[in-house]
Amino acid sequence: MKVLHSWLQEYIGDTIASPKDLEALLTFHSFEIDGIEEVAGEFVLDVDVLPNRSSDCLCHRGIAREIASITGVPLVHDPLTNVEELPTTDAIKISIADESACPRFSASLITGVTIAESPQWLQTRLLALGQRPINNIVDATNYVMYAIGQPLHAYDADLFPRVDGQWQFEVRFARAGEQVSLIPEGGKNEDRIVTCVGTELLIVDASSDMPIGLAGVKGGRYAGVHAGTKNIIVEAAHFHPTITRRTARRLGIVIDASKRFENEPSRILPPIAQREIIALITDIAGGACEGVLDVYLEQRLSPTVQVTLHKTNALLGLQLTTEQVGAILARIGATYQLASDQVFMVTGPAERTDLLLEEDFIEEIGRLYGLSNITSVPPAPLPVTSINVRQFYTELLREHLVTQGFSEIISSSFRAKDTIQLQNALASDKSYVRSSLLHNVKEALDQNYAHLDILGLRHVSLFEIGTVFLKTETSITEQTMIALGVRTKGDGYSAKDDMPLKLACDAVDRVLGKSLAWSVHDGVAEANLSAVLSVLPVPLGYAPVTSRPPVSYVPMSPHPTLARDIALWVPTGTNATDVEVQLHALAGAQCVRVSLFDEFTKGERTSYAFRLVFQAPNRTLTGSEIDAVMVSIYTTLATIGWEVR
Amino acid sequence: MRMIRESTLNYSSPSLLLNYGIIVTMVTSAGHRHPISQMIAEINAIFAEIGFVFAEGPEAETEVYNFDKLNVPKDHPSRDMQDTFWFRSSDTSEPMVLRTHTSPVQARYLEQHAGELPVRIIVPGKVFRNEATDATHEAQFYQLEGLYVGEGVHLGHLKGTLEYFFSKFFSGKTEVRFRPSFFPFVEPGVEVDMRLMEGKSALAGKWIEVMGAGMVHPHVLSSAGIDPAKYSGFAFGMGVDRLGVMKYDIPDIREYYTGDLRFVNQF
Repeated sequence: MKVLHSWLQEYIGDTIASPKDLEALLTFHSFEIDGIEEVAGEFVLDVDVLPNRSSDCLCHRGIAREIASITGVPLVHDPLTNVEELPTTDAIKISIADESACPRFSASLITGVTIAESPQWLQTRLLALGQRPINNIVDATNYVMYAIGQPLHAYDADLFPRVDGQWQFEVRFARAGEQVSLIPEGGKNEDRIVTCVGTELLIVDASSDMPIGLAGVKGGRYAGVHAGTKNIIVEAAHFHPTITRRTARRLGIVIDASKRFENEPSRILPPIAQREIIALITDIAGGACEGVLDVYLEQRLSPTVQVTLHKTNALLGLQLTTEQVGAILARIGATYQLASDQVFMVTGPAERTDLLLEEDFIEEIGRLYGLSNITSVPPAPLPVTSINVRQFYTELLREHLVTQGFSEIISSSFRAKDTIQLQNALASDKSYVRSSLLHNVKEALDQNYAHLDILGLRHVSLFEIGTVFLKTETSITEQTMIALGVRTKGDGYSAKDDMPLKLACDAVDRVLGKSLAWSVHDGVAEANLSAVLSVLPVPLGYAPVTSRPPVSYVPMSPHPTLARDIALWVPTGTNATDVEVQLHALAGAQCVRVSLFDEFTKGERTSYAFRLVFQAPNRTLTGSEIDAVMVSIYTTLATIGWEVR
Repeated sequence: MRMIRESTLNYSSPSLLLNYGIIVTMVTSAGHRHPISQMIAEINAIFAEIGFVFAEGPEAETEVYNFDKLNVPKDHPSRDMQDTFWFRSSDTSEPMVLRTHTSPVQARYLEQHAGELPVRIIVPGKVFRNEATDATHEAQFYQLEGLYVGEGVHLGHLKGTLEYFFSKFFSGKTEVRFRPSFFPFVEPGVEVDMRLMEGKSALAGKWIEVMGAGMVHPHVLSSAGIDPAKYSGFAFGMGVDRLGVMKYDIPDIREYYTGDLRFVNQF
């Protein structure tokens, strides 16, 4: 939710903190701030309003009220406290079929308006919020929504037929198959025709039974305000959040209005919104309000909740006093009575539809008092009461397999094709879940064989331990599988892979003390671990975790590698590692790996053969530049008496 | 005598001995563990010292456990916080998803151990989100859930437990701070920032947002058969992938799942 500093100031007054200070206050007491920017002289704060506060804080008044709760300084102007009597009218009739679906519906008749561009100040504010000004009436409805969080909709009264001198609105559920024509969405010209399934709530022109909007979701073009509009009807209503949400989701319509309705704004808002919009429209578009009809069928009052000092301190880990808690409750606009000196009977302010439980109030108390005041209680050492069998045995296998030269991969649980299809995967390569690890391990063998040089390996040996998914008659089950893969040749599986693979599988069986039912396909062996976990001995404790040296990951270069071999005679007794270090230093930063692949000793001389692999992070190296590096290496080595073979 | 010093050849293949007529020395370089499984082992060791049991649950989870029992009702905006992979209704007798978080194990474990309080568990496991991927988002990743329910458990215990964990995991004294947040299954809910107070790591001295946490929501406790008037608990959930990003400077979390040993073998 974007809010303007100058707009907040209208409610907070001239003592308002700077945008930077507001950021700090809100961050540690209420909401994260995603950014502060200056747009056309306005400071815009992007407030990440939390889902439970989307009922009251998706508007400037809500954020201003929140700041007042934090600072304890009351608002200088609060539209929600405006109780000015609205004139009533008989010219509008509203019938509501289901009072829980639409507990409140109000409509005001304003005559004699002049459609024009909005005044500059209003356009500036909308533009700073990223909204496109349209005309003074439409802009006014948006403005009031951004001010107090109540969505509104304006109709041209002269395009809306009257029956017996009355404009007749109806709110009812759609009939299956009924069609509604909606105002086109951004960038499109044609109306969107929606076919209802029957769960949608409609606003209907009762004179013709014509649907004119999807309640809370989107308005129709019906009786829209246009350049020549003179008389208008403005609607401000409350629609059931779940019904609104279901329709909005089904149709993929998420607009500012639907977002607010589905978060259950307070039912007190419609008449307040009418006061605000009548004042604004008559100010910027002229005309006069003839009257308002407000049908309020089902009130919902804030519940009164018992909040105890004991529970407050017990959950927060604080030692607050009755006075401190009472003061915070008063700051958020709650009213309370003390049932005893430590028990509050608290009623939240009417606009806070989120305060329903004792814990909800405790959260308010904790964050406004300041979560920074919570003191750490360090945990005491304790033995674990049970050992996880799957973790114990899979760890045993991982530690064993790495000693055997196998590296561990964790591959995707998704496949483009398999047996169990997902309902709604966004990406086509994730349409199915895997029923086996075989394919992923085989693909990893293919992929890694191409990188042997840079890996400093001659073969690829890898394994994965992971979950696969299987269909049963009525459900989906899963199993923990282990898969091992060996690749000794570049052009795919060869029979030479079988022996090392077999030995590795046998070794796994020995580690478990149990023969797994391995299935072997083209250099990959897979077995079901879940099947044996329950029959393995119950472990008594986890093996100690070997600590690893700190690693700082070096991102892979996408550019190709070049390899050069070098064999040299050195005096016997010369350490291979020393030679390797020397070579690495001479070869420079573009040499990403030096690996020894051959050594033998003849009397006083030892021959070492190394493979040097070169790669640049940002470009493709040329053969000639690496040849030049090699020549300089030969030259330098000769000077220290190492003879290149 | 000629010796082959072999980096990957760790099995004494008879045919190789025959071909070369030489002795294969077993100077082998070991394979490498995936950093995720390595971190999970370390995390488990750290929490085992303070009595947290390693718990687990299914990756193919029912809608009831993934959402309803965690106070995330149908058609409620709080479901928008997570994009969900659904199984097809023709395959399952009740609606099922790929779990979007490890939190369902809270509900499962509490139901099974409601009579054995206090309980302390960690739940490291794979979770899934049906969303576009980029350097900080993957369709699959690992989450670490923590839960401690008993009498008198409060936010101070959460703070102390997390400071203990981070200090061990990042090998340096670490402090933690809370900011207000919202997750349907906790109340109060907090966002947790950590700051490594010492050492030469690039992390040192900076506040970093690491996870969501809070006090277990009374609805979650009562739906597991635990009386929220008597017991309370804290819960937290963080990305293991993200811990690795911080610990190892990994720039793109998608690299964990490529199966590329140029990645794995650096660990």
